Amino acid sequence: MKKRVLAGFFLSLSLVLSACSGGGTAPAEQGKSAEGQAKTELIVAAEQEPVGYDPHKVPAASSVRVYALIYDSLTKLDENMNIIPNLAEKWEIAPDGKTVTMFLQKGVKFHNGKDMTAEDVKFSFERIMNPDTGSIAKSYFSSVEAIEVKDPTTVVFKLKNADASFVANTASAYASIVPTGSTDLTKEAIGTGPFKMEKSESGQYVLLKKNADYFNKELPKVESIKFQIMKDEAERLAAIRSGKVDISMVSADSAKLLEGKPGVQIKNYQSLEYSYLGINVNKKPFDNPKVREAISYAVDRNQIIQTVWKGEATLTGPIAPALTNSALDPATYPTYKTDVEKAKQMLAEAGYPNGFETQIETAATYPDMVETAQVIQQQLKAIGINAKINQLEWGNYIETWKSKDMNLMVGRNTSGVDADRSMRFFFSTTGSANVWNYSNPAYDELVQKALTTVDQGERKKLYDEAQTMLVADAPNLFLASPKNYYAVRDNIDFTPSAAGEVYSLIKTSIK
Amino acid sequence: MGSYLIKRVASLIPILFGISVLIFTILHLVPGDPASIMLGTNATPEAIAALNKSMGLDQPLINQYLHWITGILQGNFGVSVHTGEEILPQILKRFAITMQLTVFGVLIGWVLAIPFGILSAIRAHSKTDIVVRVFTLLGISVPNFAIGTLLLLGFSLYFNWFPPIDVVNFWEDPIEAFKVFILPATTMGIVVAAGVMRMTRSAFLETMDKDFIRTARAKGNSKWTIVIGHAFRNSSIPIVTIAGMQIGYLLGGSVIVEQLFSIPGLGQYILEGIYQRDYPVVQGGVLFVALVFVLVNLLIDLIYTWIDPRIKY
Repeated sequence: MKKRVLAGFFLSLSLVLSACSGGGTAPAEQGKSAEGQAKTELIVAAEQEPVGYDPHKVPAASSVRVYALIYDSLTKLDENMNIIPNLAEKWEIAPDGKTVTMFLQKGVKFHNGKDMTAEDVKFSFERIMNPDTGSIAKSYFSSVEAIEVKDPTTVVFKLKNADASFVANTASAYASIVPTGSTDLTKEAIGTGPFKMEKSESGQYVLLKKNADYFNKELPKVESIKFQIMKDEAERLAAIRSGKVDISMVSADSAKLLEGKPGVQIKNYQSLEYSYLGINVNKKPFDNPKVREAISYAVDRNQIIQTVWKGEATLTGPIAPALTNSALDPATYPTYKTDVEKAKQMLAEAGYPNGFETQIETAATYPDMVETAQVIQQQLKAIGINAKINQLEWGNYIETWKSKDMNLMVGRNTSGVDADRSMRFFFSTTGSANVWNYSNPAYDELVQKALTTVDQGERKKLYDEAQTMLVADAPNLFLASPKNYYAVRDNIDFTPSAAGEVYSLIKTSIK
Repeated sequence: MGSYLIKRVASLIPILFGISVLIFTILHLVPGDPASIMLGTNATPEAIAALNKSMGLDQPLINQYLHWITGILQGNFGVSVHTGEEILPQILKRFAITMQLTVFGVLIGWVLAIPFGILSAIRAHSKTDIVVRVFTLLGISVPNFAIGTLLLLGFSLYFNWFPPIDVVNFWEDPIEAFKVFILPATTMGIVVAAGVMRMTRSAFLETMDKDFIRTARAKGNSKWTIVIGHAFRNSSIPIVTIAGMQIGYLLGGSVIVEQLFSIPGLGQYILEGIYQRDYPVVQGGVLFVALVFVLVNLLIDLIYTWIDPRIKY
């Protein structure tokens, strides 16, 4: 009896041990299979699961990075943020700026074999502009009055007023060209893009196969791209180090950890994003411009860059510095020179010599937002403002953002591809994303005039003036524009840029 | 017994109905709606309205509930508001994955826990006992995300081994599935083992003090005959209870383990649904988990009667 029990005990122990050794022997096999045949599939770690692939309906970044490989837009941006041809091989803007003629590439086919023509372009834009679609790109094309098909490869956009941001907006993935008659694009994704949708396994991966008929014969350079869903950063780090994935976005902290590790390279670029402290200009005491100015003097933006972003970010104004053609040098803003004494004095002049109590709303989902709020909390304390931080779950955060009833709020914006988006959409009186109740007729006039000014030099001057005005009025404090990091395996030729991941992925090759 | 079973199964109806109302209400009370979350801070009010309308979320709440529950009663769980994917096949597919993970994890846990728990009880206060008790304390107090992260990083950095990233089922490819599940199941198993080991030890200590054990000893039975033949069965009620509870919870999806190892299980599905305010996904998922939980409990109650014939329903 005793022996049987002991035997049973050792059996169970050996089971456990064999379980461990089963894991231990695996690396050799995996190494072989990886070297055995030439690698043609690129594996990209995806932090979030895509939530559908209709380019006119889904703006989530997790979806865009996939569908922007399946669909094409009329134009696109290169790594220097210049507008370059895509489905449109060239375009003409009438001298009055009210007519834009797009000349399409010839011989472009959708993945189902049908030709892409001017009719499809007209259909796509009308779908975007139809209120029932619920496209967020509708606001990009509010100046469009009519779309005319001149011939199968020529389409004419008639605008209500000159719109200098129009061509830049056609570069957006939200303005992808879809086949005429498409109704439900959640079911099947048929575009003209460099990749075709092969398989999507919920919770696991999305597999895209090369489109052999892509109009640019030299691209893409890999046979397939697999977006592997890995929600945990620790898992992504382990996967990139062991070579299970080829490309992964990583945080600045993880980038530091991976630096110099064999097999992995760290690449970064200056992003189009910036963090901000939003101020509700309707709420007391923030309705007093002096209070807002005092806060602007009290907040040390460089400290935020050092603590939150470990120095890997740059100062920013209302337009992220990566938009080099439009962004004004932050050195020109007087309030960016932190001055606590001056801030206290201004607060006293505004009638708050002893400061006041308030709240900062922030999203718990994003550690950088929470840290930013904490740094600001400390900095405001120095001038007597006691701020309580509310860490909100993302859905709740969006709800608060929409309510237009917050006090202070830390957030992140993405500068659009054209200055108009950063300026008008976020801060004009009627701007959809102006949740700060900011209303300045002089500002509205400036950005409206800039929109309709076709001369680029003249336009830049107007935006410079508008940026200076916005920073002085301070409905938002613009804080820092971070770098984005990618960990890339040594054998992968991938160079990320502000033009977006898709732009780089199309050109990526495996060495 | 028969009437007991009928009664228990019948009691499922009010339970599940209550849960359906509860989850629906809570979910709709939580701030945020799918359209706003989908559109984020890029949203325009008209885009949000159009999207909510297309998802049927502009209807009064009571209509939305009735629409959903009638669907459920007909076996139609509806589609995800974001991806338009059928929910029931997803739930079943993901439940199968969660089930494999749970069974594997629990097996590892038991194989570790029961022999060592017994050993630690019959050698109470010996060195073995101390080692076992330290292990259980660690297993209970170290959170499973820490254990999982350590395992994942440890294996990938020191053994250069990373589990296969695509999940396969055991019945398709047992070896590959073993590789997929071994680390997450071990993570789960350590936590399971700690709880079961503790319970085994205390249950055995208690049983070993009972009169019938003394009698068995007096009859001259060997120590191991007493442990296996007499004490084991009499100690197993609390062990089975805690094991049943654990299985019930784990089948609902061990969210953290699934998230950490990218195992597309049921817990992850529901969690993602909550983040995205994908109402039908969360409602259907929670209802399903509740059903499983109640059924597992029923099964445990039935096992009691087999372990201890004195228990009658």
